[in-house]
Amino acid sequence: MKNVYLPITVDHIARVEGKGGVEIVIGEDGVREVRLNIIEGPRFFEAITLGKKLDEALAVYPRICSFCSAAHKLTAVEAAEKAINFEPREEIQALREVLYIGDMIESHALHLYLLVLPDYLGYSSPLHMIDEYKKEIGIALDLKNLGSWMMEVLGSRAIHQENVVLGGFGKLPSRETLERMKERLKEALPKAEYTFELFAKLEQYGEVEGPITHLAVKPRGDVYGIYGDYIKASDGNEFPSGEYKEHIREFVVEHSFAKHSHYHGKPFMVGALSRLVNNAETLYGRARELYEGHRELLRPTNPFANNLAQALELVYFIERAIDLIDEALAKWPIRSRDPVEIKDGFGVSTTEAPRGILVYALEVKDGKVAYADIITPTAFNLAMMEEHVRMMAEKHYNDDPERIKFLTEMVVRAYDPCISCSVHVAKL
Amino acid sequence: MEKKKVRIGFYALTSCYGCQLQLAVMDELLKLLPRAEIVCWYMLDRDSVEDEPVDIAFIEGSVSTEEEVELVKKIRENAKIVVAVGSCAVQGGVQSWGKDKPLEELWKTVYGDGKVKFQPKMAEPVSKYIKVDYNIYGCPPEKKDFLYALGTLLIDSWPEDIDYPVCLECRLKGNPCVLLERGEPCLGPITRAGCDARCPGFGIACIGCRGAIGYDVAWFDSLARVFKEKGLTKEEILERMKIFNAHNPKLEEMVEKIFGGKSQ
Repeated sequence: MKNVYLPITVDHIARVEGKGGVEIVIGEDGVREVRLNIIEGPRFFEAITLGKKLDEALAVYPRICSFCSAAHKLTAVEAAEKAINFEPREEIQALREVLYIGDMIESHALHLYLLVLPDYLGYSSPLHMIDEYKKEIGIALDLKNLGSWMMEVLGSRAIHQENVVLGGFGKLPSRETLERMKERLKEALPKAEYTFELFAKLEQYGEVEGPITHLAVKPRGDVYGIYGDYIKASDGNEFPSGEYKEHIREFVVEHSFAKHSHYHGKPFMVGALSRLVNNAETLYGRARELYEGHRELLRPTNPFANNLAQALELVYFIERAIDLIDEALAKWPIRSRDPVEIKDGFGVSTTEAPRGILVYALEVKDGKVAYADIITPTAFNLAMMEEHVRMMAEKHYNDDPERIKFLTEMVVRAYDPCISCSVHVAKL
Repeated sequence: MEKKKVRIGFYALTSCYGCQLQLAVMDELLKLLPRAEIVCWYMLDRDSVEDEPVDIAFIEGSVSTEEEVELVKKIRENAKIVVAVGSCAVQGGVQSWGKDKPLEELWKTVYGDGKVKFQPKMAEPVSKYIKVDYNIYGCPPEKKDFLYALGTLLIDSWPEDIDYPVCLECRLKGNPCVLLERGEPCLGPITRAGCDARCPGFGIACIGCRGAIGYDVAWFDSLARVFKEKGLTKEEILERMKIFNAHNPKLEEMVEKIFGGKSQ
């Protein structure tokens, strides 16, 4: 029997990290139901690391996700160091942040050029763009290679870094290598600016315009960045990271191996756009100028602005990494690590991963993990993402199903979801 | 002579997508492209088709849902050659580290009483369900692992397994020994080489991400003896060796041997 109510289904959303699908049920009166099916299998990271040695658990956590493995490593290590009451020296912290920025640069470049841009240029895959868009693919690979190389130098490799250890690093690069890193960052700056100009020209779909509550980590020292001990919301609220459970509620939904989250009972957004919305006044340098000149495009009410926000961050974090390397070099020569004593304790770390707030809460007892709670940006975003997919579908429910699929996928891609990250999740 | 393009599919099960990422961002991939037709690669191509015949199927990820069991069977039917890529597909991945705990317990720890309409299962290697022709090892595999495998398969040859340990590469590089000189539980002696001893080169003990060497030459027992002499308990040794080898059929029995079946 044929009817007009066949659900519109994308089994496997292409060009995102991980495996998820969209299901839209349409009735006579419009969109009845929208589901983001997260079908990638569960991996139980918190459960499997319970009772395991701290250093071994810390080697396993980055495996939650390849696109942001450095973010996972560094956030987990910070939570563990807080738990054992250890604070890394400033120069070590600066270099860890440079490593984190390597992840940010690689992830943003990859997302913008290889995952998002093909939609706007009419391609199914970046691999088909090579002849026509040589310059863009070249810039994408240059920026991506820069980020990967930073992670190789400081983290041991571009995916699943092992070189960050409790107390510091396994081994530090030479002064010459860090000088070279600065040079390469400087060379990359015009490419990041080109990326910003390119994405400033792309359409932001008005269909999904509306109020959004944004959450982001409040950066330490009032300098736009990655680490922080408070979470800031765009409704004016601010709370210590350790109290995240009092403000954010996680719950299981039956169409997803990833849990959903609500902030004060409502969906919310995290990510590059949310960082800008909450922390733009802490930007400096070229990125600050670009932000002031493009505030209308970087408005908080449209999830598509997240793409441009990432492009802006490419510019910002390149300049920021240069300054952080200088901070470390000013103290050269530096020791790679300090001895640590694995004491019992509990620590929470919240950082800004490429896709938004990443939370690690770890309890250490007798050198082992006694409790682990990890919440990833994509898990935070899923409920809001579903809302925006619904808004897009509602405006287009009379259109050709292929068009609906395409537009709703674009909404999902603007969020830059990391589905592997989202599936594994937290203790209730 | 114009050769027919080799049809390639890249499929993901449950994983971190790192193997695909490693491959996707290789500049060298662009050089291989003219020889291949990519039929399925969702991470990079919206026009991917999952249920289509291919010459070579690359599979990343562990089998972690009932749906994925069906998927790997379908991939096998469609493919002339199946290559398992990375530690999840080859050895079940780090998600198998909790293999000794019942699935219900793991589920409860993470999801509480919540129910999901898909069927989860304990992570397993792809070879548990279908015949795998070749493996690419690592978490993630090195770029050169991909180049070697793709390069050989595209000229109708095949990739050979490395049959010596990380420890050998490490000695050849002249790194200080993390195990003997620093006393850290390095798994280099039992782990398949090919990474140029990347982590020991940074002064970090190997955690075995490329999996135990094949051909039954992974001497878990000898290494367990060294670890035991350094004061590690049987449980500690097993836990560490299992991070990437939870499904290895020899591991427990060989470590038991050193502890004489008695408690430590």
